[in-house]
Amino acid sequence: MKINKLLVLALLTSIFISSCSEDSDDTPVVPKGNYENGLLISHEGNFGQGNASVSFVSDDLLTVENNVFSNVNGSPLGDTAQSIAFSDEFAYVVLNVSNKIEVLNRYTFESVATINSGLLNPRYMTVSNGKGYVTNWGDGGDSTDDFVAIIDLDTNTVSNTIQVGEGPEYILENEYLLYVSHKGGWGVNNIISVIDISDNNVGTIEVNDAPGAMALDSNGNLVVLCSGANQYWLTPAVETLASITRISTNNSAILDVMEFAQGEHPSIMTHDDDDELFYVLNGEVYELDDSSDVLPTSAILDVSSISAYGISVDDDTLYVANSNFTEESDLLIYDLDSASLIETVELSIGAAKIYFN
Amino acid sequence: MKNIYILLPFVLGFSTVAKAQVDAVQKLDEVVISDTKLLDYANGIKIEILSDSIITNNATSLTGLLAFNSNIYFKENGFGMVSSPSFRGTNASQTAVVWNGININSQLNGQTDFNTINTSNYNSIAIRSGGGSVQYGSGSIGGSIHLNNNLSFTEHFETVIRTGYGSFNSKNLGFNTGFGSKLWTGNVAVSYLDSDNDYKYLGTSQVNENGEFSNLNLNANLGFYVSSKDIVKLYHQSYFGNRNFSGTLVGPSKSKYEDENFRTMLEWSRISGKFSSKVKAVHLHELFKYFENKDKANFSLGSVNTVLVNHNFNVRFSDKLQFKTIIEYSNTKGKGDSFKEPVRNAFSTTALLNHKLNNVVRYGINLRQDFTTGGERPFVYSVDAGLDLFEHYHIQINGSKNYRIPTFNDLYWQPGGNLDLVPESSYQIDLGQHFNYPNFNVKLNGYYINTKDMIQWVPDNTGIWSPINIGEVASYGAEVEVKSHYTINKNQFNFSGHYSYTVSEDLETNKQLIYVPFHKGNLSVSYGVKRFTLRYQHMFNGDVSILGNSLSEYDFGNLNMSYLFNLTRETKLTLNFKVNNLYNTYYENVALRPMPNRNVQVQTIIKF
Repeated sequence: MKINKLLVLALLTSIFISSCSEDSDDTPVVPKGNYENGLLISHEGNFGQGNASVSFVSDDLLTVENNVFSNVNGSPLGDTAQSIAFSDEFAYVVLNVSNKIEVLNRYTFESVATINSGLLNPRYMTVSNGKGYVTNWGDGGDSTDDFVAIIDLDTNTVSNTIQVGEGPEYILENEYLLYVSHKGGWGVNNIISVIDISDNNVGTIEVNDAPGAMALDSNGNLVVLCSGANQYWLTPAVETLASITRISTNNSAILDVMEFAQGEHPSIMTHDDDDELFYVLNGEVYELDDSSDVLPTSAILDVSSISAYGISVDDDTLYVANSNFTEESDLLIYDLDSASLIETVELSIGAAKIYFN
Repeated sequence: MKNIYILLPFVLGFSTVAKAQVDAVQKLDEVVISDTKLLDYANGIKIEILSDSIITNNATSLTGLLAFNSNIYFKENGFGMVSSPSFRGTNASQTAVVWNGININSQLNGQTDFNTINTSNYNSIAIRSGGGSVQYGSGSIGGSIHLNNNLSFTEHFETVIRTGYGSFNSKNLGFNTGFGSKLWTGNVAVSYLDSDNDYKYLGTSQVNENGEFSNLNLNANLGFYVSSKDIVKLYHQSYFGNRNFSGTLVGPSKSKYEDENFRTMLEWSRISGKFSSKVKAVHLHELFKYFENKDKANFSLGSVNTVLVNHNFNVRFSDKLQFKTIIEYSNTKGKGDSFKEPVRNAFSTTALLNHKLNNVVRYGINLRQDFTTGGERPFVYSVDAGLDLFEHYHIQINGSKNYRIPTFNDLYWQPGGNLDLVPESSYQIDLGQHFNYPNFNVKLNGYYINTKDMIQWVPDNTGIWSPINIGEVASYGAEVEVKSHYTINKNQFNFSGHYSYTVSEDLETNKQLIYVPFHKGNLSVSYGVKRFTLRYQHMFNGDVSILGNSLSEYDFGNLNMSYLFNLTRETKLTLNFKVNNLYNTYYENVALRPMPNRNVQVQTIIKF
């Protein structure tokens, strides 16, 4: 009932908007869809509960819409939206528990295709040279079946796979090389796989334990956030140092290893369009300049009162997903110049990653 | 007593003793249950007993039986999968399942999976509403379910064989035999259930993939009068389950779950005038193997063994006053891939008093103090009273404090286990009115439960889920139970119905808890003429909120026809045809896990 009503509403809205755009002939830019010029926030939802979703927040923060996928398409998105990858036209929502990728028009959110064969515990995807590359854990309990799936973006099917080490996580491409951080899945790993797209050969770079988020910095280097192992439940407990590691994309040489103190395990990182990197440690946001090779000693913002689960930065604006897995999450918008909170927007359950659309 | 010889291995050792004492025995109890306090110390407690005829005419899973014959709401992860109750608005770990007096909730998750209990292996199943931690320990907050095997010390030898076949290639087979004399008795029950369980998801092109399951339940119970004062009893139950875990509408699954339970109790009771004493030694074993991928050999394992010794001492000062003490020691050892090898020792002392003050007022006062390894020392108590005000009108009232101790998963799960947890504690009051006429019986109950220090798993800032004592929940509601039967010129009419209105509110958010319907009702009507019986069951489940959404209300009906053939004077055959989900209703009681469409089942029951 509810979904039908929303569908009708969505249809009415789209008719209204398309008729608007037809009427106003003097408008120079034809909108590509309702979900342009804003943020897309992926929501993992609850593992196994099938309540993953995506929210849209317009750049001016005036329009907020939760559950965009089901509003537009009338069906649930799936289980545990781990991440979203983008091509010029499409958004690829990676659904970990559903073992599928929903392919959408990134601006209208209309479903285009579903890739639901050949994936197993898919995590992150990147789009490069007309192909998609998706990291997969395989079975979580099996450390030898992890792979990168290659997606033919014309047919939206898995065309090939590349075997890699345990727990492949983030993936990005630079100059025909794919970089895959191996956080380790259910365990802990300490490598970056470097895959040559031309022949699918895999090389590895050893880094600190639990490498996760990655970015290309303003100098063209690869930056990796390694959280360090923190398995306090083992006897004896296993704890290793976290680091931010810079790697040359020319020769895969390690340039800088900026290690954190014992007991410090940052897990969230983002890089802006310029030359600044941001990470969250113990409830505080730190800023690291690409030219610096030492970690900052003081934070720029205190977010300890919330549960920061995802961050993104655009110019001087910091967006933080304050995630809640039993009730609505929030998106908090901070001005970095004044280190003050500008706005809070209510999202849905289990908000995670923030993308600019 | 035709086929007594097959039993010889069981009874040889005792039979000579028994024979020698025949003459000395004057008057012995004919039917004995292990858990006498269930009814003896319950003046003010609402207890509904489902007899073997109700058990026979319902689904063989405890879920199926109680969904249509109690106020309890069930959450099933698909048909035949893990099933947990919500009793009076409480959560899955706050209903105790009690096997012949022993609380058998898992030490790992604090719950009993109601789809692992085959009801046909029990003589009676009782639903005890409200708190019962004094009598039944941890987790008896919403109420408790009692699985009882009777030992019948009468000359008898009776066997029942059930075979059934139905939709989704579902097969069931049951064998029950009971035998005995005035001095010894035994019964053995075996039941097996197997289903492809590949039902269609209505309104979609999907079917319930990876849902096949099978399970085997074996019960064996023996009792001997070793003297006119002493009875030795042995109770045993084994369960073997093999299930693939079905996925959801949006998440496929290829996992598999194998579990087993062994429960054994040796009991010696001695009745001497106004004193009676019972010593029980119990062994409980639970084990599971979880295969993330059923096609691979890797699995994760967990197992727990509990050894328990219990002594009951009862003094009957007069017909009006009796007093019972219970001391119990238990040692629980776990072993598993995710929680190493935890050990828990627990000791408890309990005192129960039951007094009939006059012809109107009966009351009980009950106390219990626990001591456990973790340092938890919950002290709980209850008072209850029954007021027989008029011939057809009685009042039942009770108040109690109850608890639930953290489970091994809560304490030791790696990562996340939290050793700083304290037990959940709960206070409640319950008022019941009972109108009792020969053909007509109505119970009306209202209750209030406040539970503090609820143990809930929440993610910490590193993303690791960990249990903490958080939140306070108030549950209150009203329940109606109606039973009626009439016989008019060989036409028999039976009616039973339940309705409950349940509010269960998180006191921090003032929201109804997820998976607790405000409204739930069911009714069963049957019409019998001569050897033909027609039965209809109906259930209504109101809307249920889930995380960020809600599940729609649904109506659901089952139709059942049976005919009895007297093959010989002593051999009876019942043919039974059942249509489940008569209206082909689409429904979910756990989000995105559709339940079966309309399906049929044929069953034969031979009694001799």
